[in-house]
Amino acid sequence: MNYGRELLKGNTDSLLLCLINARPTYGYQIVKELEKRSDGYFQFKEGTLYPALHRLEKDNLIKGKWQMLPNGQQRRYYYITKKGQQALAKRLAIWQDFSAAVRAIIQPESI
Amino acid sequence: MKNSVSRYLNSFRASLKIDSDIKDSVAQELYTHLEDRSQELKEKGVSKEEADKIATQVLGPPELVAQQVYETYAQGNWQEALFTALPHFLVALLFASYYWQNVFCVSIILMATVGIAIYGWHKGKPRWLFPWLGYYLLPVIVTGILLIYLPQGWGWAVAALIYIPLALAVIIYIVMQTARRDWLYASLMLAPIPVIFSWLLSLGVGNEFFLLENVWIAELQTKIPWIVISFLALAAATISFIRIKRRRYKIIGLLIPTIAISISVALVNRGGIGPWGWLLLLSCLVAFVTPNWIQSKGYKYLEIKFASDSTR
Repeated sequence: MNYGRELLKGNTDSLLLCLINARPTYGYQIVKELEKRSDGYFQFKEGTLYPALHRLEKDNLIKGKWQMLPNGQQRRYYYITKKGQQALAKRLAIWQDFSAAVRAIIQPESI
Repeated sequence: MKNSVSRYLNSFRASLKIDSDIKDSVAQELYTHLEDRSQELKEKGVSKEEADKIATQVLGPPELVAQQVYETYAQGNWQEALFTALPHFLVALLFASYYWQNVFCVSIILMATVGIAIYGWHKGKPRWLFPWLGYYLLPVIVTGILLIYLPQGWGWAVAALIYIPLALAVIIYIVMQTARRDWLYASLMLAPIPVIFSWLLSLGVGNEFFLLENVWIAELQTKIPWIVISFLALAAATISFIRIKRRRYKIIGLLIPTIAISISVALVNRGGIGPWGWLLLLSCLVAFVTPNWIQSKGYKYLEIKFASDSTR
């Protein structure tokens, strides 16, 4: 089992919600943004991105809309919904508590 | 020659069995992703062919992406599941309440079924449509079978020659159109037919007493609890079909209960449906299973194709 991959898998939805919450964005931009912000740490399996986005959309956490770019190309932009913002806030709170607890155990001197 | 992007998208579309609107939208989204990735590679000096090839490889096997998208949309909510199973519940209710002899009630249910089936057919064939469509086809099939047992003569010959080919054409057309949407939905649509046939045969359709109304009704009255149970079981199988995510389990959830119900009905009646009855029931079951068999053949083909593509 690849531990890093499992961690990413468990947090994909939160990462996607976080990026979409920052600004409406589309699939390819999400992949690039994840890579850029994590300094290449998150190498997203690109094919798994769209099922994840559609799963979030089906749960009404995000909403996809086709939009025209200035160069005439169309891209499907994702917007966060109210339900998505609430879910994200809840997940971030859980994540912060969790990571603080993990840090307290593995790096007790840093507290 | 088709480039790797078209091949990828064709393979993705062929593997994905969901509503065409959603399928088109996801395929278009993947296309824009491949376009962006390819453009980025071309700007780095990679040739167009190579850029397209790398872009598709990075996206992952189209069959796998299709399977993951399918699992996102395959599971219907409870509301959809109940509406899909509603025609089975209505049949069970009709018998449980003894309203099956009430022409008015039966006509209302029949008209509602026809109306809902026509509405769904013209609204992009949503998943809930197919059991309704199965009941919509039922009068067409039963009329054809009853025609065979009517006293024969010139009038009968003319009616049979016109009706049977016409009915077959309608049935084949609807099954083909349904299978184009998804083979699995053809089985969902045909599911009530083997159950109803096994009941009709058990009640003596085709024997010399069948046309004696009192004998038939008396026989049916004694079987009502079993009839209700068999349609409730069919409704439960339909609900599980809609609620299950994985395609393989959907197939199992639909095939096994339907076959079990049909055979149980025949066995409960001590196998009294006769050799022709068994043959007819077997034909119904084959018709019901065939779409799934064709589907699994298609999957095997894709698996072999994928394996040979990845070893290249």
